[in-house]
Amino acid sequence: MNTFLTALFSGVSSGAIYSLVALGLVIVWRGAGIVNFAQMGQAMFSTYIASTLIINGYSYWVGFIVAILAGAAVGSLLDILVMRPLSNKKRTELLSSESMRAAVPVIASLGILGVLQAMAGIIWAAEERGFPAPVAREGLTLGGTVMPFTLYDFFVIGVVLITLTITTLFFKKTGMGLAMRATALNQEVAKLSGIRTNHARTLSWAISGAASSLAGLLIAPSSTLSPTSLDLVLIIGFTAAVVGGLNSPVGAVLGGLIVGLVMSFVNFYMTPEDVYISILVLLLVVLIVKPRGIFSGKDSRRV
Amino acid sequence: MLKVDNLITRFGHVVALDSVSISAAESKITTVIGANGAGKSTLLRTISGLEKPASGSITWEGESIVGLRPEEIVRRGIAHVPEGHAVISELSVEENIEMGALFRRRKYKSDVSAAIDEAYQLFPRLLERRTQLAGTLSGGERQMLAISRALVSRPKLLLLDEPSLGLAPLVVEQIIDTINTLCRSTGLTVLLVEQNANTALGVADHGVLLALGKVVADRPAAELKADAALRAAYLGY
Repeated sequence: MNTFLTALFSGVSSGAIYSLVALGLVIVWRGAGIVNFAQMGQAMFSTYIASTLIINGYSYWVGFIVAILAGAAVGSLLDILVMRPLSNKKRTELLSSESMRAAVPVIASLGILGVLQAMAGIIWAAEERGFPAPVAREGLTLGGTVMPFTLYDFFVIGVVLITLTITTLFFKKTGMGLAMRATALNQEVAKLSGIRTNHARTLSWAISGAASSLAGLLIAPSSTLSPTSLDLVLIIGFTAAVVGGLNSPVGAVLGGLIVGLVMSFVNFYMTPEDVYISILVLLLVVLIVKPRGIFSGKDSRRV
Repeated sequence: MLKVDNLITRFGHVVALDSVSISAAESKITTVIGANGAGKSTLLRTISGLEKPASGSITWEGESIVGLRPEEIVRRGIAHVPEGHAVISELSVEENIEMGALFRRRKYKSDVSAAIDEAYQLFPRLLERRTQLAGTLSGGERQMLAISRALVSRPKLLLLDEPSLGLAPLVVEQIIDTINTLCRSTGLTVLLVEQNANTALGVADHGVLLALGKVVADRPAAELKADAALRAAYLGY
C-alpha cells in the first residue's frame, strides 16, 4: 500500500512537470506550427540564471521569478530574431516544397538548442551542479510515521495547478487569449479580423518559454543541472504532448500526468531500467491506436 | 472611395489579374462578376492585402494601401469576407463575432458592444446559437457569422466574396437583402464578387465584368444586366 501511494504521489508530482513541458510544446505548435526542440535548452538557460542568482546570495524566489521572466524574454527573442524572418522567406528555389519549408524552423530550433547548450557551457562551465528546492524534499512526518509524499511534491503540484489555471483563464477569458487562439486555428481569418498575428505568435513563444522555464526550475532539484540535463525531459514532455494530442492544451496536461504515472509505477513496481522503455511503448501504442492523441478534440468541421 | 489602377497580380507564371482598373463608389454596391477563374477572388484578396500585387496601385481614401498587411488594412476600414463562409469552426459563434472587434476593444469599448448587438439584431439566428461552435452551424448561418465578424469592425468598405456560394436560394436572398439594406441605410460601401450574376446585378448600382483577369465591361448594373450579347459571351446564359 505504501509503495502504491509513493508511486502515485511521485508520479503525479513529476507528471505535473511533464504537463508544463508538454503545454509549452503545444502552445508553440498551435501558435506557430513549429515543434520547438530548443524548448528545454531555453529552460536550462533560465535555470542556470536562477542558479547563479541563488549562489550569489539572492533568495530562491528572486531566482525563480527572474528565471521565468528570462524564459519569456528568450522565447520572444527567438521568435523575433530567428523564426519570424525564416517564416517570411517564402518560395526560394531550394525551399519550393511545402514540407521542406515546414522543416526549416524545426531544424532551426535544433540549431538553437546547440547554441544555447554551448553558450551555457561557456558561461557556466559544462559541469553538473545542484539546484536547491524551496521546501523539504524528505517524506513528511505526520504523528511519527513518514508519509509517502514530500512537501516538495505539494509545492510542485500547487505551482503547476496555479499556472494551468492562469493559462486557461488567459486563453478563455481575455481578448489577447482569443486573438492567440484565432491565430493558431486560422491565420488568414485572424488577419482579416485585424489581429496582429505576428504579435500573437511572439506571445505564444513567450508563454511557452516561461512555462518550460518553470518546468526546468521544478525538475532541477530532483536531478542535477548541466547544459544537457534537460534533454531527456524534452523527450518525455514530447511523448506527453503526443499522447495527449499535440493540438490540445488539456490533452497536454493529461498526457503529462499519464506519462508521469506510468514512469513512476514502472520505477517502483518493475525496475528503474524499464522506465524509458515503458514510455516509448506508451508512445508507440498511442501512435498506432489513436495517432492524433487520446484527448484530441472531436473534429467539429462539417462537410 | 476605393480606386484600383492597372493592378497586376501573378501566381508564379500565371497572371491572375492583368491590368485591372476598377473603382467602388462611396455608399454604393459595386459588383464584380465573371466565370470561374476570372480573377474575382484574387482582386479582393489583393485589395485586402492577402496577396501582394506585382504592380499597380490601390488607393483608399486618398492613400495607397499597397504593401500594407491585411491586419492594418482592416484597421483602415476595409473588411473582407473571403470565399467559403470563412469562420473559425473551433470557436463559438460569440467568439467569432468578438474576434472581429478585438482591435477596437480598448479605444471604443462601448461602441464595440453596440456593434455586436447590431450584428445579432441583423441575424437573430446567431443570437440563438451564440454559445455553439461555429462548426455546428449551417452554411447560411456560417455566412451570416462571417459577415457579422466583418461588420463589428465598423468597416467603411465591405469586400464580399461569393456570399451565395453553396447556399439555398432563399438564404441567398435573405443575405443579399441584408447587405442591400445595410448599404442604403448606413452608407456602407460594398464591393460584391459573385458568380451568380443575376442576383448580384439585381442589387448592385454598378457592375464590372472580369474575364481571364481583364476587365471586359464596366457599366451601370442595369445596363450590364440588359446586355444579352455580353451575357451570352461571358456568363453563358
